[in-house]
This record gives sequence, C-alpha cells and structure tokens, in this order.
Amino acid sequence: MEGESTERSSVSGRRSIAAGQAVIAMVGLYSLVASIELGLWSAMGPGAGFFPAVLGAVLALLAFVWFVQERAGIHRSESGDPLDHAHVWAVVISLLVLAAALPFLGFQLVVFAFLMYHLGLRAGIGWIKSAVISLGGSVGVFYLFTSVLHVSLPVSSLLPLNMIGL
Amino acid sequence: MGVVNELILGFAEAMTWQNLLFAFVGCLLGTVIGVLPGIGPVAGIALLIPLTLNLDPAGSIIMLCAIFYGTTYGGTITSVLLNTPGEAASAITAIDGYQMTKMGRAGVALTIAAFGSFIGGSIATVGLVLAAKPLGSLGLLIGPPEFFALVVVGISLLVALAGRSMVRALISGALGLLISMVGIDPVMGAPRFTFSMERLLDGVSFVAVIVGVFGLSEILSYRPGKKPVSVHAPGFRSLLPTRQDWKRSTPSFARGTGIGFAMGLIPGMTGSVSSLLSYGAEKKFSKHRAELGHGAIEGVAGPETANNAHANGALIPLFTLGIPASPTIAVLMGAFLQQGLTPGPTLFAEHGTLAWTIIASLFIGNVLLLVLNVPLVGLWTSILRVPYPILAGLILMFMVVGAYTINFSVFDVFVMIIFGLVGVGLRHLDIPLAPMVLTLVLGPLMERSLRESLDISHGSFIIFAERPITMVLLVLALLIIVSPLLKLRKPAALAVDDPES
Repeated sequence: MEGESTERSSVSGRRSIAAGQAVIAMVGLYSLVASIELGLWSAMGPGAGFFPAVLGAVLALLAFVWFVQERAGIHRSESGDPLDHAHVWAVVISLLVLAAALPFLGFQLVVFAFLMYHLGLRAGIGWIKSAVISLGGSVGVFYLFTSVLHVSLPVSSLLPLNMIGL
Repeated sequence: MGVVNELILGFAEAMTWQNLLFAFVGCLLGTVIGVLPGIGPVAGIALLIPLTLNLDPAGSIIMLCAIFYGTTYGGTITSVLLNTPGEAASAITAIDGYQMTKMGRAGVALTIAAFGSFIGGSIATVGLVLAAKPLGSLGLLIGPPEFFALVVVGISLLVALAGRSMVRALISGALGLLISMVGIDPVMGAPRFTFSMERLLDGVSFVAVIVGVFGLSEILSYRPGKKPVSVHAPGFRSLLPTRQDWKRSTPSFARGTGIGFAMGLIPGMTGSVSSLLSYGAEKKFSKHRAELGHGAIEGVAGPETANNAHANGALIPLFTLGIPASPTIAVLMGAFLQQGLTPGPTLFAEHGTLAWTIIASLFIGNVLLLVLNVPLVGLWTSILRVPYPILAGLILMFMVVGAYTINFSVFDVFVMIIFGLVGVGLRHLDIPLAPMVLTLVLGPLMERSLRESLDISHGSFIIFAERPITMVLLVLALLIIVSPLLKLRKPAALAVDDPES
C-alpha cells in the first residue's frame, strides 16, 4: 500500500518536472521569437533583440538537455517536501485580495483585515491578541513609515474612509 | 591622500550620530532576520531596502551593510540554542554549538561565536582597506570587454557552485537575465517583453522579484514543526568563557579568518562554504579534533569566524570591481544602484568619501554587534518564542510594504506574488535560486558592457579575442562551465544544499 503511494507520488513528481521543463522551453522559444521581431542587428551593432534572442535559444536548449538528463537519470531533480496546498492558496489569495483592495480601502484597513484573517481565523490565535497585533501591524506600521521614515503608504481613495485618516 | 587619512575621514563621517544610529538599527534588524525562521538574508535585505529609500546614500548603505553582517550573527543564536540554523552559513555551527547547549555551555558558545565573528569581520575589513586602493586603480584599467568577461566569470562560478546540476543552475541564470531584459532597451530605446503595459517600461522591480522568489516562496513552502519551540536564554554568568576556552579558540579564530577571507573573494562561494571548509580545517588541524561533534569549542569558533570573515571579505570584489560574490551581496549591489551609486573602481574615484565612510562603518558595525549580541541574547531568544503564524503574518505584511514602496505601486505587489509562485515552482523543480539573483542584478550591466564592446569594435566579436585579459577570463569561464564534461567534479564539501542558493 505504502509502496503504491510512493510510486504514485514519484510518477506525479516526474510529471510535474516534465511540465516544468515544457514551460521553461516555451519561455525560451517565446523570448527567441519575440526578440527576432525586435531586430537582432543594426548598423550600430547588436539590436534590441540580440541578447534576449541568444538567451531564449539557450534557455530552450537547456530545457531540452535537462529533459534528456532526467530521462537518462543524470542529476535527477529532487522535489522538496510536499507543499501544504491549503496554506499556499490561503496566503496567495489573501495577498491578491490585499493588493486589489489596497488602493481603494487604504493600507491600514486592508492590512488589519489581512492580519486578522491570518492570525485570528487561520492560526486560531485569540481574537483580542490578534486584534492588538493586527492594529500594531497596520496602524502602527502605517504611522512608522509615513511619520517617522517619511515613506508614504497607500490611503483609501474612498472619501469617507480618507476623511477619517484611513 | 593616503589610505589612512581617507579611512580617518571615513570614520569621522561614520561616527556622526545619524550614521551610528543607522548602523545600530541595521545590526538589530540583521540579527532579527538571522534569528527568524522562514526568511533568509537575501529576502530579508531586499524587503528592508524600502526602509532606507529616504535616507542619504551613506546612511542607507551603512544600514543595509549592517543588516547584511547582522544576519550572520543572528543565525548563530538559533544554531546553538535550537539546533536550527537561522541562516545557511551557521548550519555547521549547530553540530558542536547545540552539543554545548546540552552540556549547559550555550552562553560560552554564543560568546565565542560573537568574538570569532568580530575578529573575522574586523580582519576582513582591514583586508578591504588594504585592497581597496590597488584593486580600485586596477579596476580603472578595465574597459567594457574586460568587464563583460569578468561578469561572465562571476556568473559561471556561481552557476558551477550552485545546486547539484549545472544545467538547472544555468536555467536559473538565464531566467534571471531574461527578467532583467524586461523594459526599455538601453541602446535602441525599444520596449522589450512589456506586453504593452506601461508599468513594465521601466522593467520589473528587482526588489519585488527577489522578495517574491526568495521570501514569499519560502513562506509558502515553509512547514513549521508541530512541537512548540522551547528555548532558554543563558544567564549572564554562563556567558563567560574560561581561559582554556579562549586558548583553544585562538587558533580556530586564525584559521577561520584566513579561510573565510579567501573564500569571500571568490565569486560564487557562499558563507556556508566558508564555514564548512573551516570546520573541515578544524577536523584536520585542531589539537582537540577528537572532541569535534561532541561540543568542542573549536567547532563553533572556526566556522563562526569564517562566515563573518567571508561576509566582509565578499565586499572586496563588490567595492573594487563591481562584482557581487554572492546572492546576498547582489541584493546589496541592487541597493547601491537604487541609490544611484555604481559599485566598482569608479566608486572610489567618484564617491571616495562615501566609500570610505561605508568601510569605516563596517568596523563600527562589528563592534556594535559584539556589544549587542552577547548581553541581548535573552531578547533574541524571546523572538523565537513568538508563535510562527504571528511571525509569518508580520513578515508577509512587510513583504507587501517592501514591494509597494520601491515604486509606490500596487503593481509591484502583484509582481511579488507572481514571483512568489515562480519561486515555489523553481524550488519544486530543484532549480537553485542564487544564479537568478546574480544575473537579475548583473544582467543590465552585462548587456550594456557587451553592447558597448561591440560598439567599439563596430559589431565585431574579435574584440574579445584581441584583448588578453578578456580572452583569459572568457576561457576561464568556459572551463568552469564545461568542467562537468571534463569530469572536473565539484568538491564534495561544496555540493551540500545551501538555502542561500
């Protein structure tokens, strides 16, 4: 049973490596084609596309060599510990929401909600403790950057929120 | 003006209260980054660059340098107390350091590590003072073809030493170069890979990319242990080493300094390689080598001295030739460029006072770290008691701040998120990240020097064969790249997993 599951994870690991090789080869080929359109050579010497074209070709070639090496068992890739997919999605989606909401709601409100989500909701830290840390991480950091370091952080573009300093 | 006079002037500048404060804050932040799990020096320095944006160039670089060598001190604390290195260069210290903790001698291990780091760092800085002028003037003889060849050698060394596979390291390097090509072409002014997005005309923010690839991907891949961390700070009395400890550590300090300094000069060598080689030297030459692995003080003194000598020694190629020797130094170089400074021989000619101020601040920073680290060990260990979700939440928040403030654009936050996922993918594919950072920073300089060279020769590649230094360097780079085909194997000691890579 255990052997079967190990074999399955090894097969899926090999597949994901093959997919990675394909993606890298495609990036290389895309760079090559896009660079040729930019012009490889001009009267002044190499054109805007010369360097990226060489790199694109090299990248595609390396992806192919890696594919061959992998098939031949030379320097085989070792996938690290399996990812906690729920954790990855929770972090990535919360960051995307944060980035999307930042210009509208401002740093303080969005980061407060972001930290409350990660501390209170996901990590199960007490609500009061989470609120205090989130307040420090949002309002505290906002004033540290804007007032002490003179580095501005986004404020809300919505007038009512903006007027109350958010 | 002689070197001594210039250094004295540098000290005068570095000892203004503002610059002392920047060095102090940098040391504190660096130590915290070194102690924190889930964030290494590369991402740590990158995400703190925005803190320095509104500072004057001297203050900014002093603070970032202090953060840089502060991380090497901080990493030791978790190695010794928890058997968990806070950063790669301190991994080997855990072997004897943790054994010493089990024997109730954690305080002695930390004090010796701090002194070793101070000695290694200070002597390497003396090396920087001595090398700065001659190497700087030698660097002035270097034209675009030589610079291009030098960058190629630096990148090929890092590629050769990073990870287990040369092909995957080359892929990482090529990806970094391609990312650095995004934006307006420096010579023809044509937009490249901008996908008709105005925001990409200035290129991709290197801070956002590095924070994403190194920092966010680390948080996304990090799986903390289930057991709560139990750590006890040693009392003040237990911090004092005995006369015997000092006597046994002295030769290790000397060996560690030599190894760390020499390795720091070679591009591609990371601090962990220095500490590993230093441990090897202790195993070979120490009078008490039989005790190594069982709590021998030499196992702490040697590697810790070596990794700090390395950190300071690695600044020599950066200051004199403009070549970053490791990914962390590449990020530091990015900070220089962000401030409108180009590290290299022209730094001493164009910003001599600034260069000497930074060098003087390295001495001050080493003293500050010695004074801070030993008495404040209780404070550092208390950071380790903070539950990981709180640390991760706050680190993520600082990543957002770091990515946003570099251009004051939310677009860069999205860039960071995308590159975080790219970083997870690269880690999953076992592709080392170090070459990518180096090429990301060096890419534009490399392309510029290549195109300037070809401009000089009216488009003829013969220019690289006509100039002896360029020819030698390019042949060297080629040999390094094809070394696996020639069966020139990487030393086993260098084939270890290096999280900095």
